[in-house]
Amino acid sequence: MTSTVPRAAEATESRGGDNAPATRSPRHETQRSRHWRENLAGYGFLTPWLVGFFGLTLIPMVYSLYLSFTSYNIFSPPEWIGFDNYIRMFEDPVYLNSVKITAIYVLVGVPIKLAAALGVAMLLNYRDRGAGFFRSSFYAPSLIGASVSVAIVWRAMFSTDGPVDDTLSFFGLEIGGWVGNVALVLPMMILLAVWQFGAPMVIFLAGLKQVPRELYEAADMDGAGPIRKFKSITLPMLSAVVFFNLLLEIIGAFQVFSSAYIISNGSGGPAGMTNFYTVYLYKRAFTDGQMGYASAMAWALVIVVAILAFVLFRTSKMWVHYQGDSK
Amino acid sequence: MFNVHKRRGILAAAALTTAGALTLAACSSDSSDPETSGSNGGGEGSGGEAVTLDFAFWGNDVRADLYNQAIALFQEEYPNITVNSTFLGYPEFWEKRQTEAAGGGLPDVMQFDYSYLRQYSENGLLLDLGPHLGNEIATDGFTEQILGIGVVGGTTTAIPISTNAWGMYTNPQLLEGVGVADFAGGSWEDYQAWMAEVTEASGGEIWGGTDYTGRIQNFEVQLRAEGNNLFNEDGTPGFDEARLAEFWESGASMRGDGASGISQQRLEEINPLSGFGAALTTSELTWDNFGGGYLGELGESYTELGLIAPPVTVEGAKDLYQKPSMLHAIAANTDNAAESAMLVDFLVNSPEVGAIFGTNRGLPASADMRDGITFEGLDEQIRAYEESIADRLGDAPPVPLVGYGSLEEKFRVLGTELGFGTVSVDDAVSQFFAEMDVVLNS
Amino acid sequence: MSTLREIRTPVEPTPGRRADKPRFTRKQINTAIWFVVLMAFTAIVLYPLLWLLMSTFKDNSEFGQNQGLVPNDPTLDNYVKVFEGIAGVPMWRFFTNSAIIAIAATFGTLLSSSMAAYAFARIRFRGVGIFFAAMIGTLLLPFHVVIIPQYIMFNNLGMIDTYWPLILPKFLATEAFFVFLMVQFMRGIPREMDEAARVDGAGHVRTFTSIMLPLIQPALVTSAIFSFIWTWNDFLAPLMYITSPEKYPLPIALRLYNDQTSTSDYGATVTASFIALIPILLFFLVFQRFLVAGVATQGLKG
Repeated sequence: MTSTVPRAAEATESRGGDNAPATRSPRHETQRSRHWRENLAGYGFLTPWLVGFFGLTLIPMVYSLYLSFTSYNIFSPPEWIGFDNYIRMFEDPVYLNSVKITAIYVLVGVPIKLAAALGVAMLLNYRDRGAGFFRSSFYAPSLIGASVSVAIVWRAMFSTDGPVDDTLSFFGLEIGGWVGNVALVLPMMILLAVWQFGAPMVIFLAGLKQVPRELYEAADMDGAGPIRKFKSITLPMLSAVVFFNLLLEIIGAFQVFSSAYIISNGSGGPAGMTNFYTVYLYKRAFTDGQMGYASAMAWALVIVVAILAFVLFRTSKMWVHYQGDSK
Repeated sequence: MFNVHKRRGILAAAALTTAGALTLAACSSDSSDPETSGSNGGGEGSGGEAVTLDFAFWGNDVRADLYNQAIALFQEEYPNITVNSTFLGYPEFWEKRQTEAAGGGLPDVMQFDYSYLRQYSENGLLLDLGPHLGNEIATDGFTEQILGIGVVGGTTTAIPISTNAWGMYTNPQLLEGVGVADFAGGSWEDYQAWMAEVTEASGGEIWGGTDYTGRIQNFEVQLRAEGNNLFNEDGTPGFDEARLAEFWESGASMRGDGASGISQQRLEEINPLSGFGAALTTSELTWDNFGGGYLGELGESYTELGLIAPPVTVEGAKDLYQKPSMLHAIAANTDNAAESAMLVDFLVNSPEVGAIFGTNRGLPASADMRDGITFEGLDEQIRAYEESIADRLGDAPPVPLVGYGSLEEKFRVLGTELGFGTVSVDDAVSQFFAEMDVVLNS
Repeated sequence: MSTLREIRTPVEPTPGRRADKPRFTRKQINTAIWFVVLMAFTAIVLYPLLWLLMSTFKDNSEFGQNQGLVPNDPTLDNYVKVFEGIAGVPMWRFFTNSAIIAIAATFGTLLSSSMAAYAFARIRFRGVGIFFAAMIGTLLLPFHVVIIPQYIMFNNLGMIDTYWPLILPKFLATEAFFVFLMVQFMRGIPREMDEAARVDGAGHVRTFTSIMLPLIQPALVTSAIFSFIWTWNDFLAPLMYITSPEKYPLPIALRLYNDQTSTSDYGATVTASFIALIPILLFFLVFQRFLVAGVATQGLKG
């Protein structure tokens, strides 16, 4: 683990600690025995996770960190080469291109996807009758897994004289097919991610369901308009979920793989425009047998995303509101 | 009953050894499936030393059916041997093998690809087949040259299933529609001129072909005609920057809008089909065993293809060669080397197996197997083609170096970028040499 | 359509109606706009899926050539072929395999993740910060670089070609996504709720099962939906660990119609993957009904 993350998490965790000695302890308990009980309960509840973390996750992670300092072709034992893999990244034009398009994908795609998810979730939350049909419809695109069908259908949508081209032409925008247009492939991939906005939408919906209705009713009586209600009730009450979706969508977008791999048939083309970070990493690892280099790429990503997560956790103190932590 | 170190038991065994809910499910789903349990249960009742072999291949559902038939025959002949077969698509197949190679669990017998042969052989992952040649594995059906293809560093680690050679497919029906005669042979310049003629005659609806400089094989054919290899035995390239730049420059008239070749944009739009398979181009330089795939893509309205030799670089040069389109290899960690060798022999030599597969795996390398096939249609065309190019066939180049697959892919990707115009020839050349540097020195 | 009616939740508060009465017609207009806007979005979002459905009636040779919605020559051949199974393995077997894995994985994920989340969100014990950070950390590493070490571990455990490598990790809360999701929801629950229970003498186990779990129902439903669907669609893990074709789950089976080195049957691929969508669509339809306000969020004033 990088050192940034623990501190980030502790920072938020400590919120609870700052504000509340977690429980009003039953009278006869001493401080020490309560600590002991809390520790016992904590580790008890955490046992499955601890077994999984130390048994299944940690060793492979540490091993990959070690591999990132080696030259390892999968077949012969890894050879220690220090920071060479990390240095090589900065001289690798394909790598730098993959960083560039991944950054654009994250910066553009995540906000659009989350805005769409939140907007639709709020529309769906407006009333319950009929919402089931719409919910299912909006989630349906997210049901398609990493199957070749995604590639077939998405290519068809964006080919010359496909529905997107036809629609745009109707409005006078004659730009032709997107699939074969190097400049439009990245937007096409972003739209694919937006189309599959079902997961954050459902999470937003679940969050909206937890907002106590009384708050809105009280606001109604105060004569608050919809915008004020959104700003002073919905957003704060939803902030924990917004934070979750934001962090997870960023992480997920940095690691975008399946859709790009399938749409480009594993090539990352055309002209490297779908050669996202993890697609390139994967090709280096499994097609080219450069597991050491791939591991270094993976850990470089970990560092960058960890810094982002740290910043997010830090700023979250200012805007994320946990009902369970305050008062 | 089955290998101790692996748990790839037959279904019944799996049901017994898998605990809890899985047992229930596996049992309940086991009962009503005569076909699967039938093909797997062959070894169960037999006496003698029962052996289970794991066998892996890549291919689609059609090929899997053919292998099922072939293995059923094998198990009939050797009732003490049970073969558990598994199959995947090509990229998944290799990803899984890479992982197994690292983790020490390769299947006993594998369908193998030429481009991975050196890597697996040099790392001691494949069994030395030397002791089995002429014993379990009959070699009479193979020519010396073809058998030599599976030799890496003096050791035979794989037996070719089939051979293929570089060739040119044309679409006579499409050409008739355009009103241009089939390519009559000639130099690369002649071919380019013919492509332009077709493209022009069709009024831009159809193209004469695809920019062939995107394929490393065409480069190799030209290099061989000049007496060089693409890569030498010691892993050094048989060309320099200038030669590669010249090659890519030579494709300039086939690239871009209004060029004689189909544009890269169009190719992207029809992907995963090829221009030829989508009936948009009238010719394609490729391996001769791809014809069946093209016919499948073209659909029922197209019934025949032309198959002719690639353009000539230097008259009389031995620029073409036969390579194995597939091989069979045995894992070095197998516990049942002899039985594995028997399976390999059966799959590469048996005329019955030949009759089952036809040319699904390519033109069989073994004459014994070819005897089992009545060649007709495209199969016959391919067989005749490989005979017809005899005077252009030279020795096969060294077994592809480790990482050849990555370089081939890099070459192809740079070719598409040239087509898009997102990279200049000079940049493409330096990128390719940078990649070679990494691959050859790692 | 019967689902539509049943979604109406039991928690619809009566005061809402009181507030609406004076603006009855405006509410109707709003609802009409709401409906039209959503229908328009739905049409856009569902069009690609409609296209996919229509393409299951296309002949293989139409793929790449006919990009339109309507098949040139509608055929049921793809369905016939898909229901024949693959290489002697019937199609329903792949469905059964996927269902077994997905059900077990969902069960394991809900159980283990909610436990871990409770520990992170509600128990102040030594090391909670470090472990929480470690959990977030596991989200950050692209999983491709741990495939090989994990394979070696499961190989040593003798679990290759069984479903254990696919299911066991789910019982060990290895998917931090779900743990973190539940943590966020639990932290949204006012502490007064469980404090009240603690004062009544309930320990953590009882607080967890009788207070916390009912309160985070939306998060549990969400996790169940995602866990089921994602496991159903998971490709890479089964690819690594499952060898026998008769044990393949659907995502692997779907790719067996394609072979870039010979021929590919896109018609069968699209048809099979469309059929594979139906069970998870049904799963979603059933479970999204429970995506309603948690039992106790009303009647709770901050």
